[in-house]
Order: sequence, then C-alpha cells, then structure tokens
Amino acid sequence: MTAWQRIKANLRVVFMAFEIELRQSFTDAFVLFGIIVQPTIVAFMALWMLKDQVANYAIFVVVGSAMTGLWTTLLFQGGNSITGERWTGTLEPLSCAPAPLRAVVSGKLLANITQSLLSLICCYTFISLIMGLPLTIANPGLFAGSIVLTVVAFIAFGLIIGSLFILNPDVQRFQNGLEFVVYIFSGFLFPIALLPMWTTPFSYILTPYWAARALHAASSGTGSDGEIYFCWAMLIVFSILYAIVSKFLFKSILRKAREDATLNMQ
Amino acid sequence: MIMEKLKLNIKIFFEGAYLSYVGLFRWLSPSTYLATLIFSPLTQMLFFVLIGTYAQGTDKAYFYVIGNALMNAAMSGIYGVTMSIGGDRWDGTLPYLFGAPANRMTVFLGRAFMHILNGMIGVLTGLLWGWLLFHIDYSAANPWALLLTILVTTFSTSGLGLLMGCIGLITRNVMFVNNTVYFVLLVFSGANLDLATLPSWMRIVSNYLPLTRGIASARLIIAGHSLTEVLPLLIEEFGIGLFFALLGYSLFRWFEITAKKRGTLEVF
Repeated sequence: MTAWQRIKANLRVVFMAFEIELRQSFTDAFVLFGIIVQPTIVAFMALWMLKDQVANYAIFVVVGSAMTGLWTTLLFQGGNSITGERWTGTLEPLSCAPAPLRAVVSGKLLANITQSLLSLICCYTFISLIMGLPLTIANPGLFAGSIVLTVVAFIAFGLIIGSLFILNPDVQRFQNGLEFVVYIFSGFLFPIALLPMWTTPFSYILTPYWAARALHAASSGTGSDGEIYFCWAMLIVFSILYAIVSKFLFKSILRKAREDATLNMQ
Repeated sequence: MIMEKLKLNIKIFFEGAYLSYVGLFRWLSPSTYLATLIFSPLTQMLFFVLIGTYAQGTDKAYFYVIGNALMNAAMSGIYGVTMSIGGDRWDGTLPYLFGAPANRMTVFLGRAFMHILNGMIGVLTGLLWGWLLFHIDYSAANPWALLLTILVTTFSTSGLGLLMGCIGLITRNVMFVNNTVYFVLLVFSGANLDLATLPSWMRIVSNYLPLTRGIASARLIIAGHSLTEVLPLLIEEFGIGLFFALLGYSLFRWFEITAKKRGTLEVF
C-alpha cells in the first residue's frame, strides 16, 4: 500500500467514525446540555457580571462562553471516546481491527468538536437576538482561521485526554473538576493575569489558552495581527507535540489490549 | 404497637439512608470522593469568584465565595439525592423496593439524609476555601446561626433533589434535567448575581426556588446580623424544601401505583 493509499484509507476511517459519532451523540441529551444549555447560562451570568466593566464585553462573553462549551464537550465526550468503547465492550475488537485506533478516535473527536461549535452559534444568537446587544467580529478572516486551528488543536488535545483517561482511571476521577480548571487556566472569561504567577506555565501548555487568546483578539480587535499569528503558531506547535505524545499513549493502549490483555481491568 | 412501628420506621430510615449512600459511593475510592466533593466544587467556586473579582474588584470576593460555597449544598442535594433514588431504577432494585412492605415515606426521605450531612460538609469546606484563598472574614458571624442556615439550605436543596430523583424514575435523561436545574439555580439563587439587578420576572422565579433565601441568610449572618433577623428567611427556605420533598413523595407514590398497574416499572 502506497503512502497516498494509506492516507486515503485512514481518511475514510476518520469520516466514518465522524459520521457514526455525530449520529449517536445528537441523541444524547447530556451532549445537548454541554453544547446549548450550559454555555448559554454561563453567557448570561458572565454578561451580567461583566456588564459595563470590560471593554467589548458582549463579544468577549460570546467567545468565552462558547469556549466553555467546546471544552466541556471535549472533556466529557472526547475524554470518554475510548473509555466509552470499553463500556460497550467494543474496545478489544476495535484495537484488533486493521484500521488504526487513532484514526477512529480522531474521527470521533472531530465530530465532538464540530458539534460543540454550535455553542458559539447559540451564545451569539442568545446575546445578539435575545439580549439585544450589538455584536461585531473585528477581524472575521483571522477569526475563521483561529476557529479552524482551534478545532485541530482540540482534536490533538482530545487524543491525549482520551488515552490518559483509559490508561489511568485515577485521572478520569477528576474529570468534573478539570472542567473548571481549564476554564480558569485558559482565561476564557477573565485574563490569566488574575491568577498567581506560578500558574502561568500551566496556561501556556494548554491549547485552549492559545485558542481563547486568538479568538478573543480576533473577535474584539484587542490584539494585533502579529499576536494572533503568534497564537496560531503556538496552536500548531502544541498540536504537533500532543499528536506525538498521543502516539506513544496509543501504543501503550494497544499493548495493554493486544499483549497484556489488561485493558479492561480498572 | 405504635412504639414498635415507630422503632421499625426509624430503623428503615437510617438503614435506607446508610445503604443508599454506601451503594452510591462504595465502588469509589477516596480519591473519587475527594475529586467529587472537594476538588470539583473548589474549581467551580474559583471560576465564578475570579470572574466576579475581575468585574468588581477583590472587595466583592466575599459575595461570590459565600454564594458558591452554598451552591455546594445544591451539588450534594441535587446530584447525590437524585442518584440515590434514580439509582434503584438503573441497578434493577426498584421492583424489590416497591415489593417491600416498608413505609414509603421513611424509605423516600431516608435517601436524602446522608446527602444533607454531605452537603453541610461541602458548604463548610467551601467557606474554608474562601477563608484560605480569599481571606474572607467570618469573625462577625454567629457560628450557630450560620450552621443552622447551612442545615436548612442543604435540607431545602435535598427536597428539590428528591423531586428530581422522582423525575429520574420517569425519564432517561436524568443528567440533562439535573444539570439544567443546577445551572438554573446558579443564575436564579443569587449565588453569582445580585438579585436586585435582575429583571422582575427573574426575581419572582427566584422567590420560589430553594437556596435563594439560604444564600441571602448566610450573607447576612456573615455580615454580622443576628439569627432573629434571618429567621423569617430560614423558615421560608425550610418551607420551600418541605414543599419540594412532599411534591417528590407524591410523584414517587404516583409512579409506584401507575407502574404497578401498567407493568411499566422498569420501562425506560
């Protein structure tokens, strides 16, 4: 099989997994909560709390709240993307199939992230139509570019989370708490300058931080083009880094499933 | 005879309370317990306190700390109690429960007991975090009045949890309902928003919900007000909790009777 044929075959797996995941998760009310209800409520609260206190607060809240929806979906849906297979008893067959497990999980994550982009539309509609606040995206081109890179970076992050959760159930126990930790460290709704200095390196290694920074800067026009490009560069660098790390984690998952046969033991 | 009946019901109440709690947490390690009841509420509190202080300065931190600490009562009351009741359906023990001659009211209310204690621990932990991280001063507070406020608030949120648990018996999307109710409380209870600034229709809704008066009362006590001043608020908060608990019990009985008649006890 040539390299091109392999890419084509993998892409087919990605899109099949994407389609199945999308069909499945749209029937899950909890997913709809994460995408629609929670970001809208967070948007309302943040809007009320930041009203007249922060420049361009309406668009800042739209982006920040939508990011909470993106992250919540990634954490709960993406985080369970492999564990869910264990629960349904399909993990072993999946790990023995010739299709790469990473391609299957990437397809599932792509579906989760695409779906969660709805939270951006929900927050925008809620604040613009229901609250009646004028919303303009200062730099639509850079905003669209930031969204694309955010999706890619979130998929790479999801590969890490999903594999960590299955390899170490102790990490998954903190799933609920991790939701707000990333909201905080990524500065979705307030600058990370409010946090103690020692936490800054944690923010820097999180792609949601760079994604939020790029999206806030592009939407409210508070950052220069150079700053946005820098965030893009960081998103690309960390996405590659996450992808490399996830390769090793997936190897470990496959070894546990195929050689040790201990993957189902928690 | 009456004494024996009373003794039996007390035994069922405490045994049911203990076993449903053990059933909920037995399979969990201490790290899960800590993650659920300490770490998760802390991060949520930090998030809202930081947004609040970003908007209004660190002087207002106390407002958000107290509001979010009291929200821990709702976390335990809503999620814990709902899981305790709804868990019988998921684990297939509902037919045994409804087949038993035990007093239903005792069984039903017993499900909330441990979560009221849990909720109180959660609120106290939240307040402790507020003292450690944001240096909130509690010196003016009457500790007994504060403790009573916490107890009444956890009771009232558990009342709502009992109702939610019964809804969990008739819907598959219990987590959707639970989470939505929890987030609605975040807005309407005044935990993070000053109720006086909200539109009038929202203030009316918040008046009929648990937590609203509990949070207001806790803020007053910590500001130095006496128990006598907040007593009317606490009585109303208790009444709201009782109303929701009784509503939940009625639903529980209705569900039992209907499910037995139609043979739909375990139909999802």
